[in-house]
Amino acid sequence: MLHRRFSLVVATGVLVGIALSCLMVPNKAQAIPAFARKYDVNCTACHTAPPVLNTFGQRFLENGYQLPGTEDGGFTGKKKLGDVTLDDVGKYLAFRLVGNAVRNWSFQQQNPAGADAGVVENKTEFTFPENFVLFAGGTVAKNVGFMVEVGHDVEGGETEVERGFVSFNNLGAHNLAHVRVGKFDPSAFYSVVTIRQQLNDIGESTSNGCTPYVSCPLNRVGLGPGAFATKFYGLYDRSGSAISPFASTLYNSGGEMGIDVHGRPFGDSFLYQVGVLNGANENFGDSNKGKDVYAMLRYDYAQSDYFAMNLSGFIYQGNSNAQVQSHQDVNWNRYGISARATYKMVDLYAAYSIDRINKVPTGVIGNFDATATGETIGVDTYVTNSTLFSLRYDNIDAGGMLDQRTSASFLGVQAKQYLRTNVAIFARNDFNLRKVDGDEAAARNLRNAFFAGIDIVF
Amino acid sequence: MRRHHLASAAALILMLGASSSVHAVKPDDNPATRAQGKVIFDRTCLWCHGVTGAGDGPAGWFLGRYTAPRPRNFTTGSFKFRSTPSGDLPTDQDLFRTVTKGIPGYMPSFASLTETERWQVIAYVKSFSQAFRVETPVSLPLTDTPTPLGPESLDRGRALYGRFECHTCHGVEGRGDGPVAQAGDLRDASGLLIQAADLTRPSSFKNGAALVDLVRTLLTGLDGTPMPSYAARLTETDHDAWDLARYIHSLSAESVP
Repeated sequence: MLHRRFSLVVATGVLVGIALSCLMVPNKAQAIPAFARKYDVNCTACHTAPPVLNTFGQRFLENGYQLPGTEDGGFTGKKKLGDVTLDDVGKYLAFRLVGNAVRNWSFQQQNPAGADAGVVENKTEFTFPENFVLFAGGTVAKNVGFMVEVGHDVEGGETEVERGFVSFNNLGAHNLAHVRVGKFDPSAFYSVVTIRQQLNDIGESTSNGCTPYVSCPLNRVGLGPGAFATKFYGLYDRSGSAISPFASTLYNSGGEMGIDVHGRPFGDSFLYQVGVLNGANENFGDSNKGKDVYAMLRYDYAQSDYFAMNLSGFIYQGNSNAQVQSHQDVNWNRYGISARATYKMVDLYAAYSIDRINKVPTGVIGNFDATATGETIGVDTYVTNSTLFSLRYDNIDAGGMLDQRTSASFLGVQAKQYLRTNVAIFARNDFNLRKVDGDEAAARNLRNAFFAGIDIVF
Repeated sequence: MRRHHLASAAALILMLGASSSVHAVKPDDNPATRAQGKVIFDRTCLWCHGVTGAGDGPAGWFLGRYTAPRPRNFTTGSFKFRSTPSGDLPTDQDLFRTVTKGIPGYMPSFASLTETERWQVIAYVKSFSQAFRVETPVSLPLTDTPTPLGPESLDRGRALYGRFECHTCHGVEGRGDGPVAQAGDLRDASGLLIQAADLTRPSSFKNGAALVDLVRTLLTGLDGTPMPSYAARLTETDHDAWDLARYIHSLSAESVP
């Protein structure tokens, strides 16, 4: 009871703080991050609300970080000194600090045996924003772009190259083919992009010391787009580590090694994308496994009336990209559709995917559901010039090991106050729509989750 | 007397136009040029200005959200950045300057397009408004050059800043916080709330921050915004506009060109 009262006090304090900041902070847009610095424009030239792109920003991204319809990669922001072309580094470097300063998890009961000690029914924590990202991006020459993104997970203490790729653009003809090579987001051009969410991904918590190829109990679930999640319980990567049912994977992974090509050779309305990946978090190194392949087609309508919409569909074909607890390889495939529409202040989106394991291995046959589905529906809308309201519904009809799988549905609500275009504070609450008091499954015993934090990009 | 003022303003503007323009080989404005321009427009400009040039492109709303600015509506024939008198169309050279230099904060420079491509897209942009078919905008003729500015120029500029009540919008210190701005009474032609320019931040000046750009802004005004033309009031002497521009520069917290 005391914990709950304390949580309410904290939550109320944060919301009052946000409300007061609306009154105290002058509402002046500032152009800060790297591309804005390079082109001397406000973030809103490319973003509906960072990090979500508007149509201009999408075309900028497709064109390899060059203005749409141009090949300015060897021109803008470059200084010609003799036979050397140098760049102003300040126009290539940026950082983002994002995460929760306060979070409150509410559980119905102590988690199952084997879970971390000390997890209690209600837990309120003051934290340091979890994720710090340093990125450099831009163009090295005409039609040659690059992006390197180094992320540090403050809570987990891990630093890694989350993205790092080179792009070669406008090969053959304008918008015929753009090639990316390296570690990138396959879904960067999809209607709903994994890493461009207003409700940040919240990772799940698992027990320490999980054994390879043995189910690793979840202390609590992760909160991310359901359509992009693994959805299967009892899948492992090739080192035997359990793949979280809630982690974004395959085409919707946050960063995979490979090569892909996209373009609009059939007019402006249709975008194609094809690619090959190592798949399933395979990093650098020798790997004899087959490669995963994917193809995506997107239709765009964007002309006038402050309106734009697009539809996308993809096929992702896995090739020995996961294993089950019997150590046997499976081909894990995904098929998805998504749509997005923006009209003035409203940004509406939805995504649906079906995951399918082809040929369930004999070691788990009869105890494994080979099909899983996920849905994500959301809306972001500016309710004032500097206040963004977001709502997202996620559902996972889980597959995998029958004795583990638990479907899950969550509703996330967030209010984000932009103090400047590139500095925001937010308060968010996630509701478990399938909570069951007394259920031991993490997907069911989470009653409520509250977060408040900051999102800064410079 | 009024004719004398206009002639003096014209002289200044034409001189400014000449000094800040980019000289380029300009293709004839014919259907072929406009067709080429349409291709460029649809790839590059449509996202903000919309397929009909009405300033309602799919990304256009987000620039200012509920406030100004919104992307330019080319169909009305009203343009902010001109070397022509208030209410007139801009010259081709004015449009070329905007496309080439961009608008700080809101529109990137498209200098990476070739000069021919920029002229082509300008020919297409002009086709959105009937006004360009019946009017031939002209920068006012050059008759004079500014007197070299002495040390007393700043004092004269300060006096003009007070006499023209610039502080009511831009504030005494030029921070864009004058009482009219603070009251939220500044609106653009479409009724959207607009902020007075912070004169201490020249890098944000949409019509350019060089002294010549300021003089041009003072004389022509920014049509469609509360910033009027001071052409009739700044030509009592041939250095008034320059004095005021110089004083505005002195308010800056940044280095200025």
